[in-house]
Amino acid sequence: MMWRDVGVTLILSLILPVVAQGARHTPPGKPKLTSCRSPDKETFTCWWEAGSDGGRPTTYSLFYHKENSETVYECPDYHTAGANSCFFSKNETSIWVNYNITVVATNALGNNFSDPVDVDVVYIVQPHTPENVTVGVLEDEDGPFLRVSWEPPSKADTRSGWITLIYELRVKLEEAEEWEEHRAGQQKMFNIFSLHSGGVYMVQVRCKPDHGFWSEWSTASYVIVPDYIPRERSMWILIAVFSAFIFLILTWIITLNRSSVKHCLLPPVPGPKIKGFDQQLLKKGKPEEVFNSLVVQSFPPRSTDYEDLLVEYLEVYVNEKQELMPEGKDLQDVGCLKSKSQSDNDSGRGSCDSHTLLMEKCGGVESKDESSYEEPELLQGQAGSWERLERGDSQVVDTPDSSDGRVKTWPLVFSPSIHGSSDNHHYGTLEMPKQHSTSEITYSVPDHLFPTSTSFPHHHHPEYRDSLGEYSEYRCSRSPSTGVAYHWEARHPTQAHSNFNIRNLERQKEATGLGLPPSRSMEYVEVQKVNQENQLVLKPLSSHGRGPFQRQREMAEAGQYCNYREKEGAEAERYPTQQQGKTTKDGPVATQLQESTCLTTSGYVDTAPTMPTF
Amino acid sequence: VIYNSRGFIIVYVLWGLCLQPNTVRSDKLHSLSTSLNKDLDSHFPPMGRVMMPRPSMCHTSSLQIPKDKEASENELISLARSLLLAWNDPLLLLSSEAPTLPHPSNGDISSKIRELQDYSKSLGDGLDILVNKTSAMKRPPAEFNFHFLMSCFRRDSHKIDSFLKVLRCRATKMRPETC
Repeated sequence: MMWRDVGVTLILSLILPVVAQGARHTPPGKPKLTSCRSPDKETFTCWWEAGSDGGRPTTYSLFYHKENSETVYECPDYHTAGANSCFFSKNETSIWVNYNITVVATNALGNNFSDPVDVDVVYIVQPHTPENVTVGVLEDEDGPFLRVSWEPPSKADTRSGWITLIYELRVKLEEAEEWEEHRAGQQKMFNIFSLHSGGVYMVQVRCKPDHGFWSEWSTASYVIVPDYIPRERSMWILIAVFSAFIFLILTWIITLNRSSVKHCLLPPVPGPKIKGFDQQLLKKGKPEEVFNSLVVQSFPPRSTDYEDLLVEYLEVYVNEKQELMPEGKDLQDVGCLKSKSQSDNDSGRGSCDSHTLLMEKCGGVESKDESSYEEPELLQGQAGSWERLERGDSQVVDTPDSSDGRVKTWPLVFSPSIHGSSDNHHYGTLEMPKQHSTSEITYSVPDHLFPTSTSFPHHHHPEYRDSLGEYSEYRCSRSPSTGVAYHWEARHPTQAHSNFNIRNLERQKEATGLGLPPSRSMEYVEVQKVNQENQLVLKPLSSHGRGPFQRQREMAEAGQYCNYREKEGAEAERYPTQQQGKTTKDGPVATQLQESTCLTTSGYVDTAPTMPTF
Repeated sequence: VIYNSRGFIIVYVLWGLCLQPNTVRSDKLHSLSTSLNKDLDSHFPPMGRVMMPRPSMCHTSSLQIPKDKEASENELISLARSLLLAWNDPLLLLSSEAPTLPHPSNGDISSKIRELQDYSKSLGDGLDILVNKTSAMKRPPAEFNFHFLMSCFRRDSHKIDSFLKVLRCRATKMRPETC
């Protein structure tokens, strides 16, 4: 039983829809009001869409009632606006009144009501498209432009101000993708510039009420822009042609002067200028030969003859004030100054070993110009002549004889000091006797070098009194116990009162503290000036410069000497006692010696503040 | 009354010039009101609005609007002025009620109502220059329905705007492009 019922139900459920398909009749589907629009704020139209028609012919009707009124009216005009529409004429239209509209679909089986819609006419204004859109091409000085003009839709009453419309237009080249939109406000005309020459443009216009919807775009208006050459472009063409022309000319010029330009821009690389270097050999690929040829006998210099070196590297300083000193003297001075090889530790020789030697060597050194003695600067100049003595071995510079402990002779040092003396050899030769560990080194001043003070006229430059004669001793030791004092004794004190100038500044090279090979070191001082008190202001020469005074090291060991720091400009009457025995008129001569920072206890000369006492 | 004689044309033109700023204000007034209503509509659907108790008509409905657009200037302007006056008190009411409105963006609504008040005030002052008499004030509605009231205001602002623009166009006959 049950199975049968199920079967029948199944069959019926399958068959009936098929059967009923052909003959289905239902009440119509629900219609729907799609939109209502008023083009002029005086009339309006409503459209609806039908639902399913239910298989039967269906009629639609529209009913409405105004707000606060129960009276229902039916649509007065179903046809004016087309199918499924209802047109409300001016008489039926009340503005500022809500309409409640409903559409009813009716067929044989029934009807169906749409949802009601409230409509206020003034809110649904959508005008027609603007009319009479015209586009023209006009010319002005910048080129052609488009002038678009139109009219408001005929239905919209804009003349009385009932509807206020604003407009909008859009433009594009026919082949372009994007439109270019422009707002035109309430005006009915618009200009478009910057056109493409020879292009075809499309223009469209639409409008909108102040509170409403935009109209549709008007149909496109086409316009052809005539060909023209924009002035801007022609200017650029002119510039391009001109620059191309200039470029060609420049290229031609450069081509003509190719080689010189190349030389200027890419200077040739100088080839190697190695003496003995044979490029050809290198090219041949025999490096051994090439390099062998480079080996020159003279390199590296093996000579330790410092004399040679000294000669080689000596630089003569010519003071501009020193007009009167012939330069030849300098060489002799140099020769006098040079000391022998460093190895001679104990020789005690000075650069000019004996005064006789010195005299020989420096015989012609005397200053020929006595008048120059009157110049203090000469001294300086004289000193300056010693200044630039350079040693080939910088380390050796100081005192090649340092180890010797000898006194370095001071050729020419004092020569200008002797004023008016015919004997211009005032070489303060100080022979430093062999060093004694604790002895005092005394300088013996050759007699002849020290003419008696009496013989010396007191020239008007007493400043040139030297201190040598006056200082019988010059003690230089920091630690008197260990140090060795320099003593510059005037063997002949009487004669020692000469105008010796001690150019005695030892300058210590800073670097030479330890690095001094067992060669002599020379230190030079120069007289800076003479102060009012007849004191010599001695100044150490620069590290390059060497004073004429060579200080000998007492110690045999090399490389030990004091560091002298000169106090420039500071005049110290260091050895007041020295002058004690002298004629006071001579005035003290201050030798400024550097404070010694002697590195070694022995063999150094210390600028001890103590004066050698006579 | 349109004075056609030459002597009054100048006054006419000046009147039109005076109207221009007012139309700007009235336009703005209506736009603001419309956006306000949109905000309210989004939250209170139209169907629900009908269900709520509300007055049958706006309280200004008794003010007779001209039957057609050919009404006289006097009529138009006095109507505009009357409408504006009729809304002074209700706007105050709306302004006070806005903060308590059960709406997500009632802050925006409050500020917009304040703006409406400002525009209304300035518009009223502007119109006072142009019109001498004032119409009788209308009583505010007994039942208070915020949304309904706002919709009434929207309509009335549209009226005002329309009237003024008609007046402006008429006053500037010399320059039809302003219409």
